Amino acid sequence: MASIAEIPAADPLASTSVAIDGESDLLRVRSVARAHARQAGLGVTATTKVVTAASELARNILHYATGGRGIATVQQAASGQKRGVRAVFTDSGPGIADLGAAMRSGFSTGGGLGLGLPGSRRLVDEFSIDSAPGSGTRVAICQWDR
Amino acid sequence: MPDHSAIMHMGQDLLVILHGDLDDRTVESIEREVTSEVARTSARGALIDVSGVDVIDSFVAQVLARLVRMVRLLGAEAAIVGIRPAVAISLVELGASMPDVTTALSAEQGMARLRRMRADNSVRIDHGKHC
Amino acid sequence: MAVDPVAVVEDLAYYTQMVNTITDYAVIHLDNEGVVRSWHAGAEHLTGYTAEEIIGQPAAVFYTVADAAAGRVEADLRTATAADSQVTEGWRLRKGGAPYWASVVLTAVLDQSGPAGFGMVVRDLTAGREQALMLRSLEQLVNSIADLEVIRFDCDGLVRSWNPGAQKLTGYVAEEVIGHHVSMFYNEDDASSGVLDREMTGAARDGSMEAEGWRIRKDGSRFWANIVLSPIRDDQGELAGYVKVARDLTERREQDQLVQRQRDEILELSTPVIQVWDKVLVLPLIGTLDSGRAARLTESLLERIAADQAEVVILDISGVPGIDSGVAQHLLETVEAARLMGTESILSGVRPDTAQSMVHLGIDLGGLRSRTSLRDALQLALRLIDARAGSRDEAGIRA
Repeated sequence: MASIAEIPAADPLASTSVAIDGESDLLRVRSVARAHARQAGLGVTATTKVVTAASELARNILHYATGGRGIATVQQAASGQKRGVRAVFTDSGPGIADLGAAMRSGFSTGGGLGLGLPGSRRLVDEFSIDSAPGSGTRVAICQWDR
Repeated sequence: MPDHSAIMHMGQDLLVILHGDLDDRTVESIEREVTSEVARTSARGALIDVSGVDVIDSFVAQVLARLVRMVRLLGAEAAIVGIRPAVAISLVELGASMPDVTTALSAEQGMARLRRMRADNSVRIDHGKHC
Repeated sequence: MAVDPVAVVEDLAYYTQMVNTITDYAVIHLDNEGVVRSWHAGAEHLTGYTAEEIIGQPAAVFYTVADAAAGRVEADLRTATAADSQVTEGWRLRKGGAPYWASVVLTAVLDQSGPAGFGMVVRDLTAGREQALMLRSLEQLVNSIADLEVIRFDCDGLVRSWNPGAQKLTGYVAEEVIGHHVSMFYNEDDASSGVLDREMTGAARDGSMEAEGWRIRKDGSRFWANIVLSPIRDDQGELAGYVKVARDLTERREQDQLVQRQRDEILELSTPVIQVWDKVLVLPLIGTLDSGRAARLTESLLERIAADQAEVVILDISGVPGIDSGVAQHLLETVEAARLMGTESILSGVRPDTAQSMVHLGIDLGGLRSRTSLRDALQLALRLIDARAGSRDEAGIRA
């Protein structure tokens, strides 16, 4: 049974932030994403996709950001009748020099190269990325229920 | 043995059951444990059952694929079984679908596959002697 | 100071003539006690009194009863004397008691011998005041609308007004938007592709322009907006800006999409996954395959594989009108996901012309086996099942 963090039910739009500093934080990011997805009523597939994407993006921070540090912030999203999960990953790492190439590269991340960004983008409904050398990186994703 | 996994011996095969949310260290130590166990017991096959795992990201997929390759190098056959539908879809979207890895729906089907692969191999060896 | 009497008389005549030509406002001479001593057409036009009726009357007749009773007349005269002039706005009465909103400049006049009364210039500001009041009540009306965005921006697209509805809709407060360009509410693609210019031009040309599209809130989320843009023209008919009324139609759009999805799902109910044999499933695909539909079909197929312990899946595409690279991509992804669950896939219903167009488009199905007919696919499926069960039919499987 996967661990599920509890989030306060009082404010459904409250966000949970996880500082990403070490490997154990990946677990926490996944469980926070899972908890928000459950609260938002996402189905199994949508939940798995957003938790997987969150794991990938948190992992990027660990491996590519300076000092392997960053922050993941997860919250529920609402748009009309739809509910979903929104997550933002920021780091003050070196930034990505060629965003176009990064978003094209590594279709198969099996080799361990590439940032897994195009894969994460395919996984979720909404994906945006801001990055520049010297300014760090910010990736925002959103996954809706059907 | 970390509590997210269990290794069992079933005849000449190993059955490795993974469950829960696996952190990177656990996954890598499972890789080491299984490899050394296959070598130690000269197992003919290894099944990795992930039906209790609800998220497999590209890193875990990579390690699993690597484990299968290593087991093959040790002369045994390996298969990943029990990948859940949502995990299967996610791995394909991620582009981390472990193309060279044998898969099966369940441990039972996986065992049958391993037996068949061993039988195939021995038939091929016989044919090799032919002409 | 010596004054040339001839010049004074001439000045006076000139002055009188000048005053007599003024009709838009009243220039009235009061004596030191505030009694009316001169009159002209403009004053008559403004107040309704004729010269005979008013000359010799105290200025108090122009004031409202309340003001006169409160001694306003004397106070105003005193202020004018002390400060040389006094400018006020307030209600005054015409002949018959009809009130009007007046601007009054009261100036103390001095001649050689000392105070010589007052000059009173009165303008009727009623119309202007009403306009000001109407403007204020319109502003209040706009400010009470909490569910609609009603804003004004100028010809350059800079936001000039904000209302509670706009804040509720977008999350921005007035300080964050006033003076900023309206493109801040559009997403990047729209902002750069000239959507905004087209909307403004269209509105200016046709008198109003209605559009729907995604807009961005302060928190980055988007909503589906229905927008009506109207041009504002000044008295000369020149373009002076735009008024924009916007509402959030995200919910209605979602309902429309929900209806569409329900239609799709009904269509899917007519393409069920069929178990034709032990461990063999057939998924007849009918109609077009967009990514949303492909995702849903994949999910239900994989769930059936798990439930039925299937080992082979036949994807029948004879009901799919055209196999382009997009459809092929979806198919290959479905096949790969099924493979991860240990299932082999076979494509059936591949007609010669389908095969031709796929080769033409450079579509590579990889190791995916395909057959023309479902019957052939089924035969292959059964051979695959047999082989998995361990029968040594090593000759047959490579086909």
